[in-house]
Formats: sequence, structure tokens, C-alpha cells
Amino acid sequence: MAAFFTNAFSQEIVELKMPKSDKVVVKLMFRNGSVCDPAGKEGLTRLTVSAVTSGGTKDMSYAQVQEKLYPMAAYYSSSVDKEVSIISFEVHKDFLPQFYEIIKGIMLTPSFAQQDFDRVKSNQQNYVDQVIRSSSDEEYSKMALEDFLFRGTAYRHMVMGTSEGIKAITLEDVKEHYKKYFTKNNLIIGIAGNYTDDFKNTLLSDMKMLPDVNVTVPENGVPEKIDGINVEIISKDAFGSAVFMGFPMNITRSNDEFAALMVANSYLGEHRKSYGVLYDKIRTTRSMNYGDYSYIEWYDNGAANMLPPPGVPRTSNYFSIWIRPVQIGKQLRQQYTELSDVKLGHAHFAIRLALREVDKLIKDGISQKDFDATREFLRSYIKLYVQSPSSRLGYLMDSKFYGRTDYINEMDGLLAKLTKEDVDRAVRKYWQIENLKITIVTDKSEAEELAASLRNNTPSPMSYSNFVKSGLPKEVTDEDEEVANFRLNVKNVSIIKSEDTFK
Amino acid sequence: MKKLLMILLPLLICGFTFMNGEKIFPYKIHQQKLPNGLNIVTVPFESPGIAALYIVVRAGSRNETEEGVTGFAHFFEHMMFRGTDRYPKEKYDEVLKSIGASANAFTSLEQTVYHMVGNSAKLELMFEIEGDRFQNLHYSEHDFKTEAGAVKGEYTKNISNPSAQLYENIRNTAYDKHTYKHTTMGFFKDIVDMPNQYNYSLKFFDRFYKPEYCTILVTGDITPEQVLKLSEKYFGGWKRGDYSADIPVEPPQNGTRYTHIKNGDVPPVLSLNFKGPAYSDTDPDSPALDLIDNVFFSQVSELYNKLVVNERKVRYVNMGTPFSRDPNLITISASVKKKEDMQYVKDEIMKTLEKAKTAIVDAKKLSDAISNIRYSFAMRNDTPGGIAGMLAYYIVLTGDPESVNRYYELYGKIKPEDLCNTAKKYFNESSLTIGTISADDECPVK
Repeated sequence: MAAFFTNAFSQEIVELKMPKSDKVVVKLMFRNGSVCDPAGKEGLTRLTVSAVTSGGTKDMSYAQVQEKLYPMAAYYSSSVDKEVSIISFEVHKDFLPQFYEIIKGIMLTPSFAQQDFDRVKSNQQNYVDQVIRSSSDEEYSKMALEDFLFRGTAYRHMVMGTSEGIKAITLEDVKEHYKKYFTKNNLIIGIAGNYTDDFKNTLLSDMKMLPDVNVTVPENGVPEKIDGINVEIISKDAFGSAVFMGFPMNITRSNDEFAALMVANSYLGEHRKSYGVLYDKIRTTRSMNYGDYSYIEWYDNGAANMLPPPGVPRTSNYFSIWIRPVQIGKQLRQQYTELSDVKLGHAHFAIRLALREVDKLIKDGISQKDFDATREFLRSYIKLYVQSPSSRLGYLMDSKFYGRTDYINEMDGLLAKLTKEDVDRAVRKYWQIENLKITIVTDKSEAEELAASLRNNTPSPMSYSNFVKSGLPKEVTDEDEEVANFRLNVKNVSIIKSEDTFK
Repeated sequence: MKKLLMILLPLLICGFTFMNGEKIFPYKIHQQKLPNGLNIVTVPFESPGIAALYIVVRAGSRNETEEGVTGFAHFFEHMMFRGTDRYPKEKYDEVLKSIGASANAFTSLEQTVYHMVGNSAKLELMFEIEGDRFQNLHYSEHDFKTEAGAVKGEYTKNISNPSAQLYENIRNTAYDKHTYKHTTMGFFKDIVDMPNQYNYSLKFFDRFYKPEYCTILVTGDITPEQVLKLSEKYFGGWKRGDYSADIPVEPPQNGTRYTHIKNGDVPPVLSLNFKGPAYSDTDPDSPALDLIDNVFFSQVSELYNKLVVNERKVRYVNMGTPFSRDPNLITISASVKKKEDMQYVKDEIMKTLEKAKTAIVDAKKLSDAISNIRYSFAMRNDTPGGIAGMLAYYIVLTGDPESVNRYYELYGKIKPEDLCNTAKKYFNESSLTIGTISADDECPVK
């Protein structure tokens, strides 16, 4: 038997007792994730977790488990990211003992029935083959950017896998993967809510029955050095151009300098806020799209989440900018007679504008006033990340991943001591606009023209409708002139057909 | 605050026993109307340092009765962030940022809701900026036209999803007269024309942004006295309006209608939409439909086990009853693996609905479903924003957050035969609209 608690990630426990709460939350975080998918079987970790949580136990079929849980309204869910997999359980305290028997069965004796496996595999295949390409162009461009940024590394493929990878996975692969990567030695257990010490001890002791295998998580790999600005345009039937761009960045929440980047990032493009610079210039002033934001770490499901969810800690990081779909030339020509001869939509202009703002921040730094306001905002705002028992527990568990105890409190302490100079220094150290990657999901009618415009650094004057144009102040039109001619270090532009992505 | 906690404590300790007659919502709802008609609702509960302020305007796309201006309730939600003379947009953003709140808004069929969750110590500042913009909104024609582009951008991002296209088509097909015919985003031609409607926007504000349409709802680490005082200070001078939208009544539908999207790049979708009832917390139809959903279409139903788990012809099948102030659509949808199976899946759903009309549901199944509904409710309410969002829903439907307690009490009164009666009333082919997405040229089901 391997020694208990010998390893930094070996069945540690994170507790959050809330005796007044009505519910109990249990999270089992395994240090594995999609980086553990073997080559040629991309998607295996996700499929393994789905087979466990959408299957039965040795004593009960999936349907029987569902029937038993139903009156309790208890539920379990799973999330898999690049470096962790989390299986979460939530139940009203009235039903904890009955529910726990099911948790135990699912974790220790999953049934891995062929028909459950076939069902979840088919759904995962369908997600990769059809859903990601057709349900949201912005999510598509985000996934495509990760694929582009991390080529040659274990981070490249989507957590859901690749088309060929999923096809190759068998039920035996799933069973083996579960034994190999879901063990007592790579597990953090989190419990929150209204539970007793007896319950905790039972849970700990039962989870020691998970396989006693030493887990070796593969290295993430170092992303290839980017030479210039590289663009991939994904061409499909689309109503707009959805843009994601970024570059790998060697810093995570573990590093105290992260607080400085939080301020810079929040000022530039706080997620779903109207007061970021990018939002203000692209949406509020120029009416180009629905919103524009920047990120210094992975933000899960940004279209749905207003606050960053826990459960996606990573050791490889990147800076990114999200430009929500902007108009394409075809739509502009159809909608406005004054634009009946425009050749190109707004993507090139938006990319230039966003990168120019990053460049300005690197060169000019943040003003003292903006620094003060943004720091004050963040010190309140980050406390909203941990309102529910589940999110609070999740953030505490993520803290362990990063070698911290309580990330939210520690960041607040770091923000309190931060200066404008710290922010300027961190921006100069970690951000640049010369070498990065861009993915654009756009309409077939736009792709060639956009590619040529980017490749040739062609000036991209903003094509406003008369509605907007007539009232624009001079400082905006002057700035437009500079943006339209802002030189980008573009080295490579290629066009990819949608059906050729995520193979 | 201490006194309040002492009152709350027994409630928390008791938990949810769900006896008949006991209120489902575990916290006390304090409610009072100001003389100008503005409703003030406060729900204090333990959430140290955090409060949620929701302003519920009972006007949404349902109120858009005039030609050419669909989508305006939503567009107006955008305009509410364009500032006042006292707090122009930049200044408003600056103050909002200083509050450190998560703030946003959304519009739906019946409502526009402005919400902020943040530091409870800054509640007065939240009231001040909200009170100002609700009474003194002032934007230029240029700002108005510029914001129209953001709305079009929102439409552009949404419509990349074929399900959004199908939803738009289904509403347009199912309704002839009622304003549920258009989605909250509005018809695209109206969105493109929005910049021309500056004067209409002023009229819209004058009609609906009035105290009698609104409720101020505050939850979390606050007291009712504090909220009432702030409401009087910042909203007390707001003048009552007198507009009432004349919402057209939808005539009865006479026969099944169809709408189809040809798209072979996405999984086939089958959507069956029946005209349902308006929400009511006194009539058994709404809770009976919830129970039909739970018994016949949830993940423990026979149909789900047959189509999803055993035959695996379908990825999901579910039923949705979005209760609204007027009769809305009850939707049963399925993601079908092969388009050739769409007719079979439709037939299986229709057979299940026939069963719902005639078979008396087993008492245990019914009590399990009620237990699921009630415990699901109990598990959800653990943040100020979560509680405010849930209560806002009932305020929108009836004007009164206590409706949630009345509604959940109804479940205990539902008998198995009520399910049959309700099913017979609503699941008729004459009021059905079928929406499909597949590679076929025409709708592949009859």
C-alpha cells in the first residue's frame, strides 16, 4: 500500500462546515484531466467520467439509480478540464445517508455497462462532430484557439476529445483508465454544508478503497514559440465573425504577480462588464458587437457564466481576448444602402483596435486613477465568486492545486498591497502583441477577403452605417484612422473548412 | 440584525418538512407598497456583507403590441445603461465599478429585470444610481442609434445556433395575434430598423418605466426598515403613470401547424408545441402540468428509459412549461440521432400523451414527483442573487412574491385524476405546432 498523505495531492481533505445549511456538498477532485488522454484516444478522461456518472453500480442499473435519487432531488455532476476531473454530489441533509450509499456505489463499484458506455460515447462523438461547430460560433472560436495555441502538447485537444480519438475508445479503455487515473493517490476530497464528523470519516475511509496506484500525470508540454501573428480562419455558414486571440503566458494563481495582472486585465476587459476598455471602445462607442473582454486564465463557459466558476485549475496559462461576433461584409451590404459596396466586415478593424489597446497599456501603463478604481472594484468583486457553499468549497479546493490555502482571501491581501508600478511592471513582463495566435469563425463569403486583408496588413477603415457615423465625435474618427492603419505583425494566415477542425 | 437572526434560526433548524399548509419558502417576505404604487419587497437572510438588489419591471416583449417595434423592451434594457444628466454613462460606470457589484439586466416575454449583487454596505449608493436612472434617464439620439448596433450584435451571436432559429420560427408559426408571436429579441427587420425609432423609445420609457410597473426586491444582509427608508428616499418622488397595453387575445388554433429548418450539419431536432394555460397559483392546471412533465418525461419516466437509455434513438427528450401571464407554449422536444426515426419518436411522444390522458398515475410516482419538485426548490435557494431571481419570477407572473408559497401548496392538492383532466385539456393536435430541424427539404413528420 502506498503511504497515505505522502503526496501533495494524495487524499487531502478540504472542509467547510456550515451547520445552519440545509444541504451537503461533496466534491471529489482527481488530479488527471484531458492531459492524461493517450494519443489516439483523445476524449478518454471525459468519457470515463461520463461512463461513471451516467451509469449504474454493481447493484443497481443507471435507471434504478435515477429512480432512487429522484424523490430526494439529489444530484451529481461532473466536470473534466485539462488537469483535473471533479465529481460533485449535492443532497438535502434529510437524505444524506441514503444518498451516500449511492455515491459510494458509483465511485467504488461503477457498473460500466456496455449500453451506458455506448450512450455516452455517442453523445460525446456528436458534440465533437456537430454540436461544437454549429451551436455557438464564439465557443467554437475559443476551442479552436486552444487547439491552435497548444499544438504539439497534451493541452491541444478539447476535453471532449477529437473525432477520431473518440471513435477509437472502447469500454475496456474506459475501465482501465478509471483504475489508472481515479485513485486514492491523486484525490482531494471536499465537503461543505451540514455534515457530521462521522460522515466525514466514513467518506474518507471509503475513498481509501479507490485503487492504490501511483499516478503519473503526463507533462503538459511547452507550446511552440509563436513567430509573429498567426491566424486561422474557420470558414462555414455564419452570420458574423467570432474572434478569439491570445498567447501562452508563464504565470498562474500560484504567483503573487497574478494580482497585478488581475488589475490590468480587469481594466482592459473585465468579463461581461461594461467598464472595460475593450467593451467601451468596441461596443459602447462604435456599436460593433455585443461585448469584448480579456482573460489571464481559462474562463469556463463565458457565454453563460457571469462570475468565474471554480474547478478548472491549470498549470499552463495564456492571455486571451474575446471579441463577440462582429458584422460581416455580406450582412452590411444587405442592411445598409450606404454600405452596398463594402468588401469586408468589421473583424480586421476590431482585432486592430483590441491589440492597439493592449499595446497602449504596455507602453503607457495604467493611470493612477484607473488603478485605484479597478483595485477597489476587484477587492469587492472577487468575494462574489464564493457566495454558495459549492462555489466556496470549489475555490478552496482550487487553492490547494495552486499551493495556496484560500485564494480569494490571499488575493485580497495581495491587492491591498499592490501599486500602480507593480501593475505596469507585470504588464510589460507578461504581455506583448507581436507574437500571438488568432482564430476567427466566419462566413464563407468573408473568409478569403479577410485573409487577404490580414495577410497584407491592408488598411481596414471602419464602415459605419449612416445612423452611427453622423454623430461620432472627432476624437473617435481620429482614433479610427489610427486603428485602421495600425500595423500588425502578421506572418501567417490560413483558411480551414469547418469540417476539418477537431479531427 | 441580531433580533432577525434569532427569528430566522428556528426556521433554519427545522429545515424542510414539507407538511401541507407549510410555506415552501423558508424566509419571511416583507412587502409594502409606496403611495406611488411602487412595490417594495425585502427578504433578509444570513449572507454576511452581501445583498442583492433587483428591480423588476413588469414589461417585456409581451407588451410590444405595435407593428414595426418588436424587440423594444429588450432594446430599452440596453438604453437604461446609457446614463442620466447627473450620472452620464461614464460616471454611472465609475460608480458601479466602485460598488464592486455583479450587475446586469435581462428581458423576457413578461419582464425586464435589473439586478445587482454586491457589498451590502454600499446599498445606499446602489439605490441612488438606480433611483436616478429609473426616473431621469437621458440619452442622445446618437447614443440611441449606436446602441442599436449592440442589439444587432446580440442577435448575430444568438442566431448562429439553429435552435434559436427554430425557436423564432415556432413562435411565429404558433401565434397569429398575440405578442408571443415574436421572440424577446424581436423580428430581425425591426432590429435593423431600430435606429429610426428614437421617438418611440421616449414613448416606451414614459409608458412602462413607472412605479406601478415596478417592484424593488432586496435580499440578503439587509433589514426591511433600511430598504423601505432607501426606497422612499430615492424612489418616493417618482410619479405614477397611466398606460396599460392592450394585449391581443390569441384566437383558438384549428389544426396542426408545421415549421421546418433544413440543416444537415446539426443533430435532428423534433419540437412539439401545444398551447398551454396562463400561470395561476389557484388553478390546478399549472402544477398538474409540472407533474405530467415529471412523471411522463423526466429521466425516470418510461419514455426516457425507452428512447434514451434502452433504444438509444434519442439523445434527450424533455418537456418544458414556461408559465407566463397569458397562455404560452408547452414544449416537448427531442434530439433524435437519425432523421429516419423522427416520425417514430413523434409517435412515441403522442402515445405517452394519450397515456397521460387516460392512465391513473400510481400514488407513489406522484408523491415521488412532488418530493422531487419540493426538494429541488429547497436545494436552490442559497445565495442572495438566487433567492431574488426566484422571487422575481413570481413577482413578474402575479405582482406578488407570496405566489411562490401558494403555488407550491397546490401540489399537495393535486390528485391523479387531475393529471388526466389537464392532459385532455391541452394535448390536442388542433393546438399543436411542430418544429423540426433535419437534412430533409420539408418537415419529415406528420
